[in-house]
Amino acid sequence: MNLTRRGFFRIAGAAGAAGAAAAASPSPEVRAAAVPDDPYGCLVDLTRCIGCRKCEQACNRVNALPEPERSFEDPTVLNRLRRPDARAFTVVNRYFPGRLDAGNQLVPTFVKIQCMHCQEPACASACIVGALTKKENGTVHYDVSKCIGCRYCMVACPFEIPAYEYHDPVTPRVMKCTYCYERISQAGGLPGCAEICPTEAITFGRRKTLLEVARKRIRDNPVQYLDHIYGEREVGGTSWMYISGIAFGKLGFIDVPETPTPRLSEKIQHTLFAYLWSPILLYGLLGGIMWTSRKRGPHSEAEEGDRR
Amino acid sequence: MKKRIWFLGLVPVLALLCLVVSAGRAAAAAPSGDELALDPAWKAPDQEAARERAREVVPFVDAVVDECQLCRQQRLRDMGLGVKDIVHSYFLLDSPVIKQREDHYGPVRFMHTKHAAQIQDCAVCHHARPADKAAKETVRCSACHQESFRADTPDRLGLKAAYHQQCIACHRDEAKGPMDCAGCHPKNVPDHKELVKLPANPQPWDVTAECLRCHPGAGEDMLASSHWLWRGHSAYTLDHQKKVIHGKGTTAINNF
Amino acid sequence: MSHPPYALKTRFWTPGVVVLAVLMAAGAAAILARFIGGIGYVSNLSTARPWGLWIGVDVASGVALAAGGFTTAFLAHIVGRHYYEPVVRPALLTAMLGYTFVVLGLLIDIGRSWAIWKPMIFWNFDSVLFEVAMCVMFYLNVLYIEFVPVVVEQFKGRVNLPGVLAGLNGLAESLLNLADRILGRIMWIFVIAGVVLSCMHQSSLGSLMLVAPTKVHPLWYTPILPLLFLTSAIAVGYPMVVFETTLATASLKLDGEMRVLGPLTRITIYLLGLYLALKIGDMVVRGTYVHLLEGTAQTNAFLVEMILGVIVPWLMLLSERVRRNRRALFAACALIVGGVLLNRVNVFVVAYKPPVSEADYFPAVGEILITVGLISTLMFIYRFLVTHLPVLSAPAREVSA
Repeated sequence: MNLTRRGFFRIAGAAGAAGAAAAASPSPEVRAAAVPDDPYGCLVDLTRCIGCRKCEQACNRVNALPEPERSFEDPTVLNRLRRPDARAFTVVNRYFPGRLDAGNQLVPTFVKIQCMHCQEPACASACIVGALTKKENGTVHYDVSKCIGCRYCMVACPFEIPAYEYHDPVTPRVMKCTYCYERISQAGGLPGCAEICPTEAITFGRRKTLLEVARKRIRDNPVQYLDHIYGEREVGGTSWMYISGIAFGKLGFIDVPETPTPRLSEKIQHTLFAYLWSPILLYGLLGGIMWTSRKRGPHSEAEEGDRR
Repeated sequence: MKKRIWFLGLVPVLALLCLVVSAGRAAAAAPSGDELALDPAWKAPDQEAARERAREVVPFVDAVVDECQLCRQQRLRDMGLGVKDIVHSYFLLDSPVIKQREDHYGPVRFMHTKHAAQIQDCAVCHHARPADKAAKETVRCSACHQESFRADTPDRLGLKAAYHQQCIACHRDEAKGPMDCAGCHPKNVPDHKELVKLPANPQPWDVTAECLRCHPGAGEDMLASSHWLWRGHSAYTLDHQKKVIHGKGTTAINNF
Repeated sequence: MSHPPYALKTRFWTPGVVVLAVLMAAGAAAILARFIGGIGYVSNLSTARPWGLWIGVDVASGVALAAGGFTTAFLAHIVGRHYYEPVVRPALLTAMLGYTFVVLGLLIDIGRSWAIWKPMIFWNFDSVLFEVAMCVMFYLNVLYIEFVPVVVEQFKGRVNLPGVLAGLNGLAESLLNLADRILGRIMWIFVIAGVVLSCMHQSSLGSLMLVAPTKVHPLWYTPILPLLFLTSAIAVGYPMVVFETTLATASLKLDGEMRVLGPLTRITIYLLGLYLALKIGDMVVRGTYVHLLEGTAQTNAFLVEMILGVIVPWLMLLSERVRRNRRALFAACALIVGGVLLNRVNVFVVAYKPPVSEADYFPAVGEILITVGLISTLMFIYRFLVTHLPVLSAPAREVSA
């Protein structure tokens, strides 16, 4: 290796400058501003849901999803717990948490599941190409034209929501609730599920307003509701929120931390690689070692000669 | 006897079609053997008036009197309000407020007087009065409940949800009245006259096949039902003896 | 003075190579099936378990076990310990092939293989995976450039392309000359870049799973996971060199390079010791040792990884006798390699438990066939290249050095 001192610094300097220019790595504070201040939200009131599955049907229609295997009117579908998948962005599950009605029959509680549209979505943080983004109106939006299909979003999602078209060999898509992005972007537009819900178990509106509505419902009827709005603080807040009369743990909801789940990895990433300071430093350090050891190394010339 | 059981098996699959076909035949027979002399232009006046009312959208009431349920109940009783004060005894729940968003079902027919007579408490449904002193004590649902998710009244139910929450909760708690969607709503069923294609003199199996063309699920359901699967002795047949062993899935013909 | 590297020119189609070819064919069939029926057709991947064997072994372990490339380059070229020169080229070749197959594995695993270039256009600086992808892309190029001198050395002055291509002989020759002249002068840029890029993405591979705190078992989920990945990659670098060199020299009937390999593993005592200390320290500080004896598949996998993969080989290496004995040294290094491989599989697959569905995962036959097929192809190409290019330095066993 033929290394001159001047050449070394010239090239090292150029490399450093190029690296710094390429690393427009934003700091964590910049990112926090990207969280929408007052996005749209949906408040699901589990005491109102009657398990009619009209939301599933509307979702299927407005998103042009494939016909389900069993009809939306078939009540036996509720006999087992389901998860959203590539053919259904939302599903309603039935739980019997143990309460009895006057006739000694178990009272069912129905739970609608879909993408929670987190305020600081782990999927969007994870997505290698930024195909998933948090929009100003609250949607966690998927842009299929950027997607490469790495499925890191599915790894990252704390709610196990994104599904994948595993049986499409060439153009599979990540499949999840779209929040009816196009519809709610228009004035007066509603998500398909919220529009069709016969009992307004889904209330659509601004997230801050919905939080007030939820608190009012809990305050006005403390017997009917638990004092917990699932999604108010969970993983830093979600656009979809739930209130219930039954403990969430009995209804398939998982305990999640209040810190947004991508915080730690983002912090490490931005601390270590802001303006690429660490690689540049390491490069300089190694260059220094190489330079000094080359000057000291007695048989380096011999090695070079050997190789030629 | 044997024949009647065979016919029972057909009912769930064919009911709709029989209606259509017989209606068609009746219509065809009408000009010759005319006995009822129905005027095709005649319409039930109650129904027409209800339809008219359903189309109205009344001005939105944004403020209501804050009053506890018991107080209101007591007050209405003291005023002597009751069934006798009912102006319209029959409503069609068919508001454009709902229809402009979603229109999957036909209008619900609501017997106002019947419900009122049964419940004997106006305050159960008319649970609030408008703050406006000049307004009537009880107003229709759609005065306060109109579009869902209005920004100025975020905690107010929309009309559709108000109907459903009121009806469903009461029917469930009282264990009276219809409990499923189709119990109240006629489905928006397309006119089958245009859809059904049958030869001039259809055989029974032609009719079944034609039904199954669009409703394959109905055939599947039939095959899973006891009408089809039942095997064994009929309960009470000849001389009240369990002599006859049969079932549609075994001995009958016309097996689709 | 060590023997300069030379092309072996030995018989290529040995029975072992035939077995490799059969495994390659099976893998190729499975790959074909994947591109006809989709990922779901050949794998057990699901909504709850989006990453499986391919990410755990082909990608994560592939990257870790290719660490020999940058660790030997650091030792021989940056610190200037030219004594270790004989293992640099085989390590470089392994790294080059390893990373090539990481990319091939990714092409199979990602749903839209044809879109793999998109991260170059669409950047997400929040994404750990974006950084890993960029580093792997650059590093793969660096590895190819570092390997150019090996090709130049073999063919310079004797380019003889077959048939119609013979007309291009002159052009190829001048290209080789040009590469030779330029590369010698600027190779240091790439050598350092290779080490920097490796440090970046070896550690970031560990950060990958930090995005899912609720899904990864606490025994593995730690904020220092990137540091653990980096130290384990550095620690496994030399043992991997020992492992593959021993395998290659044994299989090709060459002299084992014990003279070089022994001292290499003395360094490993410190590196592996550091990794072990970090791992145990982390466990103590976070108090996760309470999980150790839970007896679940996850905790048992952790115990195996720690005891068989780190502690036992570390104790073995402490002994001078082990380091001098070819077989014992090979066993110790194989354990370390296996330990790091298991660690990567553990972090990406075993430790991962979806909290809602709690779905289990075991790779499907198709997945295994593809992974085995890719590894076989890698070994096949390695063998082909060392037969025809000057990579290995060890003299044939019959001829005493």
